Amino acid sequence: MSTVVNRENAVNILTVFKNQLRVCLLSVKYNIMREMVNKVTFVTNILFMMLNNATILVQWVILFHLREEVGGYTMKEIMLLWGMTAASYGLSHVLFARVFSLPELIISGKLDAYLVQPKNVLLSVMTSATNVSAIGDFLYGLVVIGIFCTGVSGLYLLPLFVLTGTAIFVAYALLLGSLSFWFVRMDMLSGQMMMGMISFATYPDGIFKGVSRFLLYFIIPVGMAVYHPVHMMISFDKRLLLTVLVYTFLLGTAAVTAFYRGLRRYSSSSLMEARL
Amino acid sequence: MRKYAVIYRSVFMENLQYAANIAMGFAGYFVFIYIFIRLWDYIYQTPEELIAGYTKEQMIWYVMMTEMIWFASNSSSVARNVTADIRGGNIAYLMNKPYHYTLYILTKYTGEWSIRLPMYAGLAVVIGMLMVGPVPRFHIIRLPVMILCIILGITINAVFKLCISLFSFWIEDATPFQWLYDKLILVVGTIFPIEIFPEFLQPFFKLTPIYTVCYGPAKLIVDFDTGKCVEILSAQILYLAAGCGLMFLVYRKGVKKLYVNGG
Repeated sequence: MSTVVNRENAVNILTVFKNQLRVCLLSVKYNIMREMVNKVTFVTNILFMMLNNATILVQWVILFHLREEVGGYTMKEIMLLWGMTAASYGLSHVLFARVFSLPELIISGKLDAYLVQPKNVLLSVMTSATNVSAIGDFLYGLVVIGIFCTGVSGLYLLPLFVLTGTAIFVAYALLLGSLSFWFVRMDMLSGQMMMGMISFATYPDGIFKGVSRFLLYFIIPVGMAVYHPVHMMISFDKRLLLTVLVYTFLLGTAAVTAFYRGLRRYSSSSLMEARL
Repeated sequence: MRKYAVIYRSVFMENLQYAANIAMGFAGYFVFIYIFIRLWDYIYQTPEELIAGYTKEQMIWYVMMTEMIWFASNSSSVARNVTADIRGGNIAYLMNKPYHYTLYILTKYTGEWSIRLPMYAGLAVVIGMLMVGPVPRFHIIRLPVMILCIILGITINAVFKLCISLFSFWIEDATPFQWLYDKLILVVGTIFPIEIFPEFLQPFFKLTPIYTVCYGPAKLIVDFDTGKCVEILSAQILYLAAGCGLMFLVYRKGVKKLYVNGG
């Protein structure tokens, strides 16, 4: 009897999960379709973002002209670093762009509209916006990794690391954004921290030493999102892979917990808003 | 002219209230400078080494000064807001006011950076003195001309960004062009001095806004030379005049394309 009940529970959970996933995908699809109303602007945004990312090559060509390696990285590793950062950043902003403006939603009381919908609040918030230019970042990342990742094993690992990178970017933004439930003015700090994360992610970890290196691996999780994956795409290491996966899981759990704990403190505003 | 002075004063006073918010942006500046201090520490193998004629201290101060200008002048007034005004139709209300729209935007922008620039300058001096040391051969007597050069640089940058934004009259969203312009200034102008590029490219860069917006002011601070100072200031005045001419022309042509929906 208990086996039958357990099986029914499992089926129910699976159905709920599938439904939520379907709603999320539909939400992202409609976000993109909405942005595609003006096709010229849509395509221009994507292409120019790719071009914009490509201009940074100039900087590295000059630096490698001065030294053969920078922080233990050659041009190939730097490009992998850029590819991994752009792909993870891009995917996180295509699927979950709203999480990066979560403080604004909390401070201005715009969460109300999400609370009354028959959907998971967090997923509903996260998937409610898409950043079109981030499609350009994502595609640029894939192109660069495709060109510079010579090993077959590295290419196999690419989808996994783009997913862990995306999860870390989103979880970190969610964790910082959720602090707005407790503290006012977290929007500025959260934005600065995310910008700092992206800035660090595009420079080799070999130039940082001591405390800053520790910070980059554990407090501003650039090491887990970008540095370790790039190291593993060049030379695979099981222990590093496990570290990245465990860290991603722990950070994700901490972020979701912080959001729901904070949500209990959220007080509604008188803002009238409709979401269709 | 008085009406612009009133606009400037009101924007200045408004921004003064948000000085604490501006200070929150210091973290971003610090991260950027920290990365470049570490990077140049790694690139310079010996303290006496010269790269493109710059010592390590000069190179780091160069980046600190260009980034100071970049962060202090980083405002949405001349970029996103103008594009939004044109896309959203708000320009229909603003162009009928008793001021020229482009000069109104420039005045507003000046009111914003007038608060930001001294704050970022203070931060840059503190970080520089603590982490790098004083600027070699710096004399306080040259400070007024350096400040003039920075102000002209910021204004030229604003005029060109405004020109790009005004293209929204034709293409609806000029933001992607702003990215490219910003990246050009950032990669070629703020990170490296022009001398680091191959010699055949240097005359070309002198013809771009990079020379007047970033390179000129920072060069005068880290390596002052009277001849260079005259050359940079002359180039800035020429650039500002040409930029303003272009701005008025684009605006005049653009407003003829304006189509406003009723409602």
